[in-house]
Formats: sequence, structure tokens, C-alpha cells
Amino acid sequence: MLRKIKPYLLLFPAIITIVLLFFGGLFDGFLKSLGYFPAIGETEFSLKAYSSLLQSDAFWDSLIVTIRIAALSAAISAILGAIVAVALFMIQETSKSRALNFWNRLFQLPLTIPHLVGGYVIVLLFMQSGFLSKILAAIGVIDQIPDFPVLVNDSFGWGIILTYAWKEAPFVALMVYPVLARIHKQWRDVSRVYGAKNRDFIREIVVPAILPAWTVAAFIVFVFTFSAFEVPFLLGVTYPSMLPVYSYQLYSSGTLVDRPEALAVNLVLALLTVLLGLIAYYFSKRWNVLKGWE
Amino acid sequence: MNQLRITQLEKKFGERKKEENPAFSLKPVHLTIEEGEFFSLLGPSGCGKTTLLKLLAGLEQADDGEVWVGEANITNVPSEARNFAMVFQQPLLFPHMNVEDNIAFGLKMKRVKRAERIERALEMLGHVGLKGYGKRFPNELSGGQQQRAALARALVSDPRILLMDEPFSALDPSLREEMRDLLSRIHQEFGTTIIFVTHDREEAFHLSDRIGVMSDGELVQVAEAKELYEKPASAQVAAFLGLKNILKGSMEAGNFIMENSSLQVAVAGQGEPSMTHMVIHPEKLQLSTDLMEQPTTEEIFFEGTVKQLRFNHGFYLCIVQTENIELECSISSRQAEAVSIGEKVKLSVHLKDLHFISQ
Amino acid sequence: MMKKNHLPAKIFLFLFLLMFIFLPFIPLVLTSFSYNWIWPNVMPESFSLSAWDYVLFENSSTWQAIGVSLLIAFIVTAVNIILAVPAANAFVRYPLRGKWLFEAIIFAPIVIPPFVAVMGIHLTFLRIGLTETIFGVVLAHISPTLPYVVRAAITSYSTLSVDWENQARMLGAGPFSRFYHVVLPHLMPGIAAGASLSILISLSQYLITFIIGSGQVMTLPILLFPFISGGDPAIASSYSLLFAGMAIVALLILDLALKRYYKKKQAAAAIKGVRE
Repeated sequence: MLRKIKPYLLLFPAIITIVLLFFGGLFDGFLKSLGYFPAIGETEFSLKAYSSLLQSDAFWDSLIVTIRIAALSAAISAILGAIVAVALFMIQETSKSRALNFWNRLFQLPLTIPHLVGGYVIVLLFMQSGFLSKILAAIGVIDQIPDFPVLVNDSFGWGIILTYAWKEAPFVALMVYPVLARIHKQWRDVSRVYGAKNRDFIREIVVPAILPAWTVAAFIVFVFTFSAFEVPFLLGVTYPSMLPVYSYQLYSSGTLVDRPEALAVNLVLALLTVLLGLIAYYFSKRWNVLKGWE
Repeated sequence: MNQLRITQLEKKFGERKKEENPAFSLKPVHLTIEEGEFFSLLGPSGCGKTTLLKLLAGLEQADDGEVWVGEANITNVPSEARNFAMVFQQPLLFPHMNVEDNIAFGLKMKRVKRAERIERALEMLGHVGLKGYGKRFPNELSGGQQQRAALARALVSDPRILLMDEPFSALDPSLREEMRDLLSRIHQEFGTTIIFVTHDREEAFHLSDRIGVMSDGELVQVAEAKELYEKPASAQVAAFLGLKNILKGSMEAGNFIMENSSLQVAVAGQGEPSMTHMVIHPEKLQLSTDLMEQPTTEEIFFEGTVKQLRFNHGFYLCIVQTENIELECSISSRQAEAVSIGEKVKLSVHLKDLHFISQ
Repeated sequence: MMKKNHLPAKIFLFLFLLMFIFLPFIPLVLTSFSYNWIWPNVMPESFSLSAWDYVLFENSSTWQAIGVSLLIAFIVTAVNIILAVPAANAFVRYPLRGKWLFEAIIFAPIVIPPFVAVMGIHLTFLRIGLTETIFGVVLAHISPTLPYVVRAAITSYSTLSVDWENQARMLGAGPFSRFYHVVLPHLMPGIAAGASLSILISLSQYLITFIIGSGQVMTLPILLFPFISGGDPAIASSYSLLFAGMAIVALLILDLALKRYYKKKQAAAAIKGVRE
């Protein structure tokens, strides 16, 4: 008897913790978004928060902005990440494990530094009176501060996009690189024997091989950026703000009235991320990223 | 005639590469292979046969020497332009393409139109016994099926020369036999020149027109299977071919005197001062329990006791301890029944069946 | 793929990669040491240690915030390890009905942003009195970090063949002994990796610390934020570097501790071997 329930006992502490703290929080938030708040006497359920949410322009603008910024962040970090991975691969070609170790360590740096610092670094680089602006002025490309485009705290969201492009590119590179590394010399030999020049090899063999891993990585960046708070809070504008920031603005606006709406935004956010997460999971299983290339 | 002529082909590897790359330096190789010939490179691991093959494929650069095909000097022609085909030890079918696309790959690189190359690929699939497997992916095929597909890929572009690097060594024995038969059949049908690398002497003997034995980076002997077996050029070759009864000795006044033995063999007429070994093929040794018989001038005798009787696929190997040497001789099951361990026996061999090696 | 000598291309790539990683830090470091940095000077006109002075010595909150951040991170990670190891054991080595459900539950916080749960539970925490306490913040940090530790532990467990434990059993080792001598050493690297991630994530939390802590629990990111969203750039830069440095140091300590643990184990094993 003990043997049968043993695994469940082993799982119990972790599961109960997550259920209470995390799912409890989700459920709690959900109830409150429906207006159920016994502590202040509200015991009626109502969809008022949701209907007002769906009717508010602010919400839809926020959603659009969020999708746009997340998509661009994913796209740019994916491209940068691919370039970095290829660069790494080409360098690694003749050097052995020492070099690989060095680069692995080095690439952990952008991944290790906290997002807020990453955001600030971008601020210092890209603000109108920032480092890049100074360099451009020094070489004569611009004359005055306003000549440099607004890239930080801008309504399009470039500051956020740049931050995630820089910070997540190593992540994409680290997901793509192992696939590249497996396409070792033998595969090049085979394709050469059958007449493939370098160009053919890259087009026919390398690109299709890394496409699954690359797409999955880009998608993960998308989902992550979609639901992030810190960097958009630092580098975004008040309106329109990304969904998590929008939610926070509603939550902390001072009146209890807005809270259900904030929590409703959260629920929408949660549902969207679950949906996106399932899609990512499904595709990564299906494409089975590394198989067959040993 | 599109002969493959290899002259003075040489490759040196530096010290460090030696550790990474077991196939070390290749001493200068001279070899001519006829069109349509099935030529095997036989030798133990690390003897340089794979290096030679890769040099022929253009996947490695030679330090010296030339390779000619017919009238064309292809020494400096890059691999992708040589129009040779190669099958490796691993099938190396591209995992992201299905079987027919894999097979058609070489044709695609030659810019053959899709309809035509798929048609030719499917036809080749039939030849290797994989009809109907075109749409499957490599990971859905067994090891043997993958190698067949790799073979089809090699043949479909009608190559001048087919290079094969131990293609069957990763398969299990019954599968290997099947593949060997398939390859033989294909060789008959298509008449392609095949250069086949292997460390399995049975395989080489079974398939080849001629065999080149390699050892320590050197091409030691090139001959047909029979000649190789009966007249190995060195003790190493003999040992590699699995020959037993390789006896060391030296020449003195027209006699071959064996080390550790009082036995002398008169080799007048065949003798050379440099002879160092004598090889006696197990099937040339006659076993007899009649100890009274005397040798004729055409034979030599060994006397000894039976040490071991080993069953081997329908006949017996009888190991006899004579004086200081162990000799192995093949006997039939009937003979084996009449003999027991510890019994004193006599082994005889004709002088003309002895083979001497100068090293 | 490429012929042997593409040395200039390699050097170029090498520099490109280095620049990609280090360039963004240049203005950060320079600013932290600057007194005033007027546009368009590419370098600050005057250098000064005043920002660092303030950050490290004058403002007592700095070290307090660092202490609180690290304390929370380590407690959270310790709790995570205790929860994760048995859970991973269950996942890898036992048949489970409804395994997919348990996996979904544990890995949900990776998909659904943690602040959603925290905002939801905030008022309940308020009523129970968990807000404005370190304990409350610790609880809030567990959800975002636990899944990573579980995942690392699962990976570790799945490389541990049952044969090792069976061998130990034949030699007479009971369950606790087996766990301590066979299982744990094998799991250590994986757990260390998961723990690193857990520490890192906890250290960088801003929103959920702010919501639960209500500004009373002062971690470094909370201290940092006002400066980087419009305060003195020199001080902001110094704090940023300190923050990044804290994360790196925490990870290094973990790395070193692991190496020493292994060295001790190897030494102990060697001695035992000699004695026997």
C-alpha cells in the first residue's frame, strides 16, 4: 500500500505549495475580478469588470502594443541570436573544448544580469543624450541632441524592443548552437561528395536543420516579452502601455474600483500565455529538435 | 579507357593530428585501377585505407602525387566537382528529408529537374529493394534499409567511381551478407568502378576483383584474392589474412633453417638470401597417424602430439605441438573422429606448397 | 565546411561577439565613475568616486538591501531544493497516474507570469498579515523559482541509473544511506544549476517584491528603481553595477561551494580507499 502512494507523497509538498501559492493566487484574483470580495462585503458575482475591459480603448490599444513589441523583440533577438550562433560556430570550428567553455561562460553574462540593469544599460546607450548619440556627434553625423531619434520611453516601444533583443539574443544563440554543432564535418563531406558547394550546403542542410530550434526559441522570447513587467515599466510610456504595465496601473490607481478590472486583465493575460505556451509545447515536441543529426 | 591512376600519392599528418586522427601518414601510393573493377583496400584499423579513400574523394588534400581518371588530372579538382559517389560507414541520410529526396540530392546539386530526379530516385529504390519507401523519413528505416538508401543515393547519379568506406561494418552478420550480395549484383548490373575499404578479409575476398592490402600507411600488396592468400608478400599481410603456421627463420647455403628448430628445408632453385619466413597453409598439411612412414624428397615431415581439436563450420582445426612450434592443420570430421588429444601424429607438406617470404 | 584559413574572418567574428556582449557595459561603467557627463563628450569630463562613495558607504540602505535580497534568495532556494528533490524523484522513478497534470501544475509559473498570481493573492496576504514581511516575500518568490529547480532535479535524476542504488543495496546500504552517498552526489551538479537559476530569478524580482513588501521590504532592485527611472545617472549606474555584481557573485559562490564539496568528497573517498 505504501509503495503505491509513495510517489504521491513525494510529490505532495511541491504540488501543495504551488497549488496554494500560485493557483490559489490565480483563483483569488479571478474571484476578485468577478467582484467577489467578502472582506469588504461584496458577495455578488458580476462580469462588469470584463465588459468594461472589452469596451475600453485603453485595453485594446494595450493589447496591440503588447503584441507588436513582443513580436518585434522576438524577431530581432532571433536574427541576432542566429548571427551570434553562426559566428560562434565558425570560430569554434578548429578550436576545442576550451574555447567552447570560454564562450559559454561569456554568453551567460547578458543572461545573468537582471532585466532592470539590462534596461538601464539600453537607456544609457540609446537615450537622446546617450552614449551612441555622443559617438555619432563626435563623428559628425548629428549636430544636436534632438537629431538623435527617440528610442527610450518612446510610444512605439523601441527601448523595450532593444532591451529584449540584446538580452535574449544569447538565449536564442544557445538554443540554436547545439544543433549547429551537431552538423559536423561528416555531413559536410557527404554533401560535398554529392556536389554541394558551400552555398548549397547552407541552404539545403544547415537552415532546415536549425529552423525548428530557432523557431521555438523565438516563440519563447515572444511569450516571455509578452508577459514581462519590469522592462516595459522602465522603458515604456504611460500610454499606451504593455498589458502587464496596464494591469499594474489599474491595480495601483488608488481606488478599489479599478482592481477588478486589473485582475480581469491579468486573467486575460494568463489565458493568452497558456494558449501560447501550449502552442510552443506542441510544436517543440513535434519537431523534435535535435534528433537524427549525431 | 577510364582507368583510375594514382601516382606517388602521399599525405603526412603532424604529431598532434595523429592523436585526433588515427589514420596517420600515408606513404607514397602507386596504383592503377581499371574501369569497372571492384577493388578492395584491406587492412587493420589505422592502416591508412580511409585516408587514401578520402584523398581519392577529394575530401582531403594530398601533400604530393597525382590522381588521374582517364586523360584528366583530377588531383586539384574539388570534391564537389569530381563526380565520384561515396558511401560512408554511417548512412548519413539527411534527417530532415524523406528517402526519395535524399536519394535525389546529388541530382539536385546537378540542377536536374525535380520530376526527372524523383523518377530516377524511385527507379534506384527498386534496384536496392526499397520500393515504396520513398516517402518515409530516415528515422523510420532500419540500419540496413538506411544503408541501402545510401547506396541508392550513390548510384543514382551514375558516378564514374563509387567509393565505399566500410559501409557494412555497422550491420549485423546476416544483414552484412545480404548487403554484400546486393552490392555484387549491382556491380554486375551497372559495371561501376568500385573502391571498397574494409578490415574484414572475408568481405574483401568475397566481393573483389583485386585486393590492395595496406599496413601502417603503406600499400603492401596488390593481387587477386587467390594469389594474396597463397602468396602473401609479408608476414604482416599473412597474419592479417588469418594465415597460420607462419614460421620465422633464415637462409643458409640454400637451406631455409627455422628458428628454434632443427628443421631445414632445401629450397634450391627458389631460394633467396633474404627469405625470412615460411608459410604453410593449414589445408596443405596432411595429417597421418602412421609414424613409420618416411618423407620423400618432395616433402617435409613434422612430428608432434595433438594438442587441440577445434570445430569450425564443418571441418576441424587440429593443433599439433611439434618440437618448439605449434602447427595448425585442417582435417575433415571423419579424420577428427579417428584422432585424439595427446596422440602422436605426423604432418606432411609438399615442398611446392610451401610459401616463402622475403622481408 | 570552411577551408582552413579564414583567420581574418575569425578575428572579426571574435571581436563582433565580444563587442556585442561588452559594449553596452561601457557607458554603464563610465557613468558610474563620472561626475558630470555633458553631451556630446564621448568620455566624461571629470571622473569622481562620489557616486560609489554614496552607494557603498553613505547610504546605509545599500548593504541592508543587499542583505535582504540575498537572504530571501537563499531561503527561497533552500526551500525549493527541499520541495523539488522528492518531487523529481517521484516524476522520474515512479509510475504516476495523471503525471501530465502534476507536470502542468508545477511548470505553470513558467508560462503564466507570476505577478498575476501575486496580485490575486495580495489582498489575502494583507488580511493574514503576510504583507510587509520578509516571510511573505519569500512565499511570493517560491512560485516563479520552484519550477526551474524541479526541472533541473528531473534532468539530474533521469541520468542516475537505478543500478547504482541497487549496487549499494546489495552492499547493505539502507534508504537514507543510499540517498546520502549515492543519489545526492549525483544530483549535486544538476541541483546547483537549478539553484543558480532560482537565486538569479529571486534576486531580480521587482514587481512581486514591491506588491507584497509594499515598500517595506527593501531589496536591491527596489532600492535601485527610483534611481534608474530618472534619478542621478552616476548613482543609478553604480547601483546597477552593484546589482549585476551581486548576481554574479552569488552564482560564483554557489559554483565554488560545489567545487569544494566535490574536492572534499574526492579527498574523503581517496582516503577511504587507501584505508581499506
